[in-house]
Amino acid sequence: MSIEVVDARQWVERAESMRAEGWMMLDLAGLDRLGLDGGAERDHRFEIVCQLVRPDVKQRTSLHVTAEGDPPTIPSVTHVWGLAAFAEREAFDMYGIHFEGHEGLSRILMPDEWSGHPLRKDYGVGKITIDFKPQPFLQTDTPGQSTHGLASDVELDALGQIKPADDEARHE
Amino acid sequence: MSKTEKRIEEHDIVRRLEDEGHGAYVESYDPEDERMIINMGPVHPATHGVLRLLLELDGETVIECKPIIGYLHTGMEKECEDQNWRSAVTIVTRMDYLSPFFNEHAYSMAVEKLLDIEVPPRGRYIRMLMSELCRITSHLVQFGTQGLDMGAMSVMFYGFRERELIVDFFEMVTGLRMNHGFIVPGGVWEDLPDGWEEAVDGILEVMPGRLREYQDLLSENPIFIERTRGVGLITAEQCDDLGVTGPIARASGIDWDLRRDEPYEAYEDLAFEVPLQHQGDVYARYQVRMAEMGQSLDLVAQIADKMPEGDYKNMDPKLTPPPRSEMNRSMEAVIHHFKLVTQGYPVPPGEAYSPVESPRGELGAYVVSDGGAAPYRCHVRDPSFYNLQSLPVMTRGGLVADLIASIASIDPIMGGVDR
Repeated sequence: MSIEVVDARQWVERAESMRAEGWMMLDLAGLDRLGLDGGAERDHRFEIVCQLVRPDVKQRTSLHVTAEGDPPTIPSVTHVWGLAAFAEREAFDMYGIHFEGHEGLSRILMPDEWSGHPLRKDYGVGKITIDFKPQPFLQTDTPGQSTHGLASDVELDALGQIKPADDEARHE
Repeated sequence: MSKTEKRIEEHDIVRRLEDEGHGAYVESYDPEDERMIINMGPVHPATHGVLRLLLELDGETVIECKPIIGYLHTGMEKECEDQNWRSAVTIVTRMDYLSPFFNEHAYSMAVEKLLDIEVPPRGRYIRMLMSELCRITSHLVQFGTQGLDMGAMSVMFYGFRERELIVDFFEMVTGLRMNHGFIVPGGVWEDLPDGWEEAVDGILEVMPGRLREYQDLLSENPIFIERTRGVGLITAEQCDDLGVTGPIARASGIDWDLRRDEPYEAYEDLAFEVPLQHQGDVYARYQVRMAEMGQSLDLVAQIADKMPEGDYKNMDPKLTPPPRSEMNRSMEAVIHHFKLVTQGYPVPPGEAYSPVESPRGELGAYVVSDGGAAPYRCHVRDPSFYNLQSLPVMTRGGLVADLIASIASIDPIMGGVDR
């Protein structure tokens, strides 16, 4: 299986010629290169990885398409392979990669009101370090953490649960 | 009161409710227009999990169908990045929960590609044995739920009764009925227990007769045929376009099965045929799945016959903890075990994609390593996720009742769709 990097500007042209040759797209997944060889120093951070197969000659290939700009953008190939409709929505949802020309590019797995893109490497998973010393802390400033529905003065305990206002309130 | 007058009156009630602040009920309204937008699911007995469909209906006819997913999303791919290479198996196996072995298998094969290691023959055969039995359990659930959706309730009980037989065997081998975490990078976690041959023989003795019984129940059943023939049509070209694989594609005439066309493990040693149908309807998919169950039984018999002796996992000490017997004698072995379990092993940088033929189609794992002890990225190409896109194609212009048949024939597993 070979791996090839394709520039975003040539992607649609390339996709159309591959489709004409009989290549079938099987998968399209996002990738964040932040922690990989050089990571942030590279000129691009986000990619999509496409798995393609040609059943007639039993051949497989893997294509990396680099996203450019801010927000990272790649032209959509939904008109070439129908499969890309769901897959591009997933890459958008998880990595915030925009697909130009995709009709109805919206979140697919996360709720619509979610902020942040969970599979980005700088997105916190909301893990709380267990600290046995009595230190007050809040977990709400983790990047991307949804504080939806929580009042700003609510304090969370070490397990991420809302602390009661005082002991009296608990006994009532 | 005429029908139109009645609808105008209803409309006025809706408008009044909206004015009173009960939220928007209709976006646009034309009293002559019979179209309506109906929400089906996410909690609905016929949607096989938490699938939600937004349907645009004209009376009973489906004009548009839009699947809305994500209700079971738990961020498994993200969680894998937080585990070591070995323990990520326990998360991956929970994705497509009706075919846990295939998830583990695809993931383990991808990691093995990166590690560049071989699996011993016995390990390969145990993997194939478990996979083929798992394919039968998965198809039995599909068979049962399809019957239930078509109003043949007894089929459901039969399907689950036979599934129990095989699931008991899984419990005997792995200790668990589902989500086994049994296939790991390098081989399988445990050897087959004593008495496995008798257990497999028991299954092989009972199942063929039961499969014939199912054929008698549904294949010739006029109600079932009426509800499935010519329903939920999809052509081979549409399958190609949407990346639909597995029994759905094979029921539309696409002769593609990874076990035969890109053999992995030791499938090239086994003789089998790929069931194929050309009608592309719900009944054709049913026929393909029934034939595949028979094929899998045949494969299980061949695998049990040819089961080689020897190691069941790669005994490279960098990868596999020392056996229990050694740990009772040697302190170094205990330390070695502790280090492998707590820290895991590093995997050389790179990326790999490896697919297996799951009961629903091509299930592939795409893993990226940065050279560390945890996956940098672990993406699973779940067949249900992509197969679900064929639902609008199958149902457009059909009836709502046919929609139910189509969902059952796609057999989407929402754990795999939402991951």
